Amino acid sequence: MENSSDDYRIQSFDLDTQVLLKTALKGFCISDPNSVNLEKVCSIIVDQSLKDQVFSKEAGRICYTIVQAEAKQNNGNVFRRNLLNRLQQEFKGREETRARSIQEWVCYVTFICNIFDYLKVNNMPMVALVHPVYDCLMRLANPDALMNEEEVDCLVLQLHRIGEQLEKVNSQRMDELFFLLRDGFLLQEGLTSMARLLLLEILEFRAGGWMLSSTAHKYYYSEIAD
Amino acid sequence: MSDWKRDRRRGAHSEERESRSVGLSRWSHCRKRGVDGNLRSSSKVDGREKDNDRHIEGSHRYPDGRHSSFTTPESTGPVTRCSQQADWGSQVEDDEMRRDVHRDMQRYRRRILGAEVTERERKTSSGSSESNDSKEGDNIETDEAVLLRRQKQINYGKNTLAYDRYIKEVPKHMRQAGIHPKTPNKFRKYSRRSWDQQIKLWKVKLHAWDPPSENGLNEVLDNIEEPDLGDVMDIELDFPSLADSQNASVSLRTHLLSVEDDDCLGTPVKVQRTESTVEADMA
Repeated sequence: MENSSDDYRIQSFDLDTQVLLKTALKGFCISDPNSVNLEKVCSIIVDQSLKDQVFSKEAGRICYTIVQAEAKQNNGNVFRRNLLNRLQQEFKGREETRARSIQEWVCYVTFICNIFDYLKVNNMPMVALVHPVYDCLMRLANPDALMNEEEVDCLVLQLHRIGEQLEKVNSQRMDELFFLLRDGFLLQEGLTSMARLLLLEILEFRAGGWMLSSTAHKYYYSEIAD
Repeated sequence: MSDWKRDRRRGAHSEERESRSVGLSRWSHCRKRGVDGNLRSSSKVDGREKDNDRHIEGSHRYPDGRHSSFTTPESTGPVTRCSQQADWGSQVEDDEMRRDVHRDMQRYRRRILGAEVTERERKTSSGSSESNDSKEGDNIETDEAVLLRRQKQINYGKNTLAYDRYIKEVPKHMRQAGIHPKTPNKFRKYSRRSWDQQIKLWKVKLHAWDPPSENGLNEVLDNIEEPDLGDVMDIELDFPSLADSQNASVSLRTHLLSVEDDDCLGTPVKVQRTESTVEADMA
């Protein structure tokens, strides 16, 4: 079941890449665990995530599969180490990335949040990622980013997915983030009504304990019945 | 109303400041390794210069001219200031090890609780000669730093071909105290010297299972492919036999004796060889 959707995603790679990823996903061929270059697999996944927004939303599960397989295979964590360090490297250059391409920046945030969501250490979020993820989300909540629907959309989506987990590990920063969001919703001029709608929804979402009441849900999601 | 609002706003700001300083201490404790010297500044690379500038910028709040590595890191920076160890990959690995150790400790405590009960029962029925410290629970090492250091030493020992071969060749129920290597119990209170000695002896014993240098290549590869994960936990959590509480050097004597006594046990011949090494070490 999972495999089929992974396969579907993998179609978007070129042929060599597909083969490489499939081998990695199959948990390495038993006869020669060293035949898979996990560093390379890692960089392919990250590169693709930064290019392809749909993929960046799915990549977490693929990475999770590989991490599990590697741990089972030889108790190793080469893949995870490479992945995290690459994420860190991209994190350092995030302002440059954003200046260069909003799309790539949005992909990066989507990806790191997805990794935060999927990869756990003893079922707990990876502490090392908590502040970086917050930093990314705070950046998206800055006035200049709020002017940009693409970024607002990303911010809101991430908060829907991992907001609750993030708040559990550090509620202070979540408060801080929501001060920005309220100010943005209330005070910022020039926001599109779509951006305001998204912000209002996420404010309600968190206020309801990371859930929408059924009436709120109806308000935001039902088809216009006129 | 407006007063209330203003108050709230102010509250928000102070909270913001507060949480930022929380952020600082969080990041800073991962820098521990780097603090030990000027190593860090000497290891700075050109590519990181920009980030360092940013920190220096932030350091104007510290007019006492402290080292830039002690100033508040901007969110971009935590990484740059730590030497090799502070990359996210290592942070997560350290975190993982810490949580594993805590989980092990809880298991160990549960085990002790269970074992103390049976121990008491046994004593009343057979009047076992080994008695002394029945309060196993008071004897637990809880210092996280110590436990992590010990875990690291154990991991080094286990991360060897010899260890893989050993756990594969000698099933757990075949292992005999004093003859086969037994992972030192990291949860017991030992002096540093005693612990280090136990680790050393354990490693020496493990060397008996070093892969044969020639013609054994295939065998070695076999072992790589079949990691015995289930075993890893078991070994460490062996309930400490009372013999463990003896000083390492004392138990060494018994090891040597018992090896001499009955050499018909299916231990590799190499064990014999290690004895001389051990003795050399002891001398």
